[in-house]
Amino acid sequence: MACMNEEGQWIVLMGLLVAVALFFLALIINQSALVGQTTAEGVLEFPKNDIRDLREAVFDYVKEFGDADNAVREDIIAISLERKNAVVSFTVNQKMDVSGHWLHPVEIHYNNGVTVYNETVYY
Amino acid sequence: MLSLDFLAGFTIFMLALIMVVSMVPGLLAGLESSGIDYDAVAYRTGVILVEDPGWPAYPPWELYGEAQKDEIQRMGLAVSKETPNILLSTKVERFFEKSPSGEPFFTPDDYRKRVIFGDIPYSYNFSLNISNPDGSYEPKQAGDPLPPGYGYIRRVVKIKEPGVAEIGSNVAYQTETPQNPQNFTVRLNFSDLLGPERGPAYRIDPRTEPVNVTITNFDAYLNKTEPAAESATLKDVTFWKMDPTRPNPRFTRIPFSYDTVNSNLYTLYVNGTSDLHSLQPDVPVKSSISLVLKPAATSLFTLDQNSILDIRFNFENDPPQTNITGTHLYDYVNVTHPPLKTAVLEVAIW
Amino acid sequence: MVNDAGQLYTMEGVAAGIIMLLTAYIVVSTTSVYTTGDTHIPDMQLEQLGSDVLAMMDTPDAEDTESDLKRYINADNAAGGSDQFRDTFLNYCNRTTSGAIDNLYMSANVTYREGDLIKERLFVEPPDDGSWTGRESAVRVTRWVQLPTGNPYGSRPQAVLVEVLLWRA
Repeated sequence: MACMNEEGQWIVLMGLLVAVALFFLALIINQSALVGQTTAEGVLEFPKNDIRDLREAVFDYVKEFGDADNAVREDIIAISLERKNAVVSFTVNQKMDVSGHWLHPVEIHYNNGVTVYNETVYY
Repeated sequence: MLSLDFLAGFTIFMLALIMVVSMVPGLLAGLESSGIDYDAVAYRTGVILVEDPGWPAYPPWELYGEAQKDEIQRMGLAVSKETPNILLSTKVERFFEKSPSGEPFFTPDDYRKRVIFGDIPYSYNFSLNISNPDGSYEPKQAGDPLPPGYGYIRRVVKIKEPGVAEIGSNVAYQTETPQNPQNFTVRLNFSDLLGPERGPAYRIDPRTEPVNVTITNFDAYLNKTEPAAESATLKDVTFWKMDPTRPNPRFTRIPFSYDTVNSNLYTLYVNGTSDLHSLQPDVPVKSSISLVLKPAATSLFTLDQNSILDIRFNFENDPPQTNITGTHLYDYVNVTHPPLKTAVLEVAIW
Repeated sequence: MVNDAGQLYTMEGVAAGIIMLLTAYIVVSTTSVYTTGDTHIPDMQLEQLGSDVLAMMDTPDAEDTESDLKRYINADNAAGGSDQFRDTFLNYCNRTTSGAIDNLYMSANVTYREGDLIKERLFVEPPDDGSWTGRESAVRVTRWVQLPTGNPYGSRPQAVLVEVLLWRA
């Protein structure tokens, strides 16, 4: 610096250290804040309840109609696309012997653009 | 003598400093806020409690006593993985269990290691409020009083409670030619009880829930031929099992400490009094018998999903004083299952 | 009187000011991420609670009986189904373990299919006590209900989607 003596440099150095320390503290706060944000967002984004609900709706369908075709299937597919923005399909096959019990193999597919879920279940 | 330049520079410096200082309180407000991850931990804890049956599954963790408590990996309250939000009453009772002196069965360390998880020793408060059909409430609570600024989640759940086989007077269980000894059997066919036709929320599972057999109106089974009997002597209650998948299946008597009273394994009440009896009571029965076989006992019997378990009530009198006989099936027809109860579960973490 | 001897001081002051402003900006902007996260947490709690309530209303208390939810939807407004639905729903989601009552509000509609058209019908109106502004930060929770022949939404067996808007006053 012009016209200055250089005896106070340690003050400048300390100032710099404090500034760097502050910056790192800010970074740490930033990270911990992100934990809360991403958990809540992750929970909101993952359609856990929607998929569970769809499974139960499909099981209700199988209980009611078995492997027969019914307009209720179209209801579920069309309303899912319109109101839930999810592409849904499911197929119910004829009963088969699963370790002593006669059950329908059911295939469930779900895709809302972010989460894809596929399942084959015997009901 | 201050120069004008210095004044200008210093003014700018002071302005900037004031702005920074005025921003600092806002910065600290973010630091003090509780919501950083307590809410996430509370959510996770709520999910474990409400949607998970816990681990180990068989025998279920709620049967573990003080000695094997360390073997519990995870305490979940759900009936099964397939039935989120439906909690099993035996798990709930164990989770909130307190000794008569008010000492909780699980220590804060147990709760932290087996439900909350995480490296930080979080403080917690779990509370559950069950609403009974008669309009009364049954609150349960574990943990410390709530401070301001805690993470929180509330879940609405249903509680599944065990059924009761109540046997009233029934001519089908009366013989005209009573013998000495006279036997009455209650039969549990596990392959019928645990079949997949029934959802886990409505299943009778003697491996996780107590089996309750109550004979009311026992006086209807007393020998009416002259001289009319006043009472009949219940000599003993024994357990028999059969595995139909084995070649030549037959009933074998299950070795069990029949002569010791242990209310952790079973309770036997006779005539409606509150005296605990062993399974070899040798007492006169006038009005009723009530036997509750706890899952802790059933787990000792090494039963699987095909076994048949018989509970045999043996009456000995000479001349015979009771005409009770036959086999009562402990199944979905004979067992009255109480309806699911609604409840609210709150988890607070800080 | 005015000369240029102090120009460096001035520049130094300006530089220091800019650096401090920059630091303050970085610090504040990094921490302010938190506020956006904060808005998601109550949403997440509300959504979970609403889904729980609908799922529990759809769980019959005894095997092989009709669930409350299905009964209310099938009864429709005529038989008081929507009032019962609203009362049960609010009773479930406003209850706390301490006995205090939370203040959540709801409205509901039912989406159904008629031919190629997806139609919507208001099932429970928002409260008419003047508290409804349309600007609430509400969450939407849904549940499938399957109705038998001869239901309020058509003559054939149908699957309808019950949508509930839930918000905190």
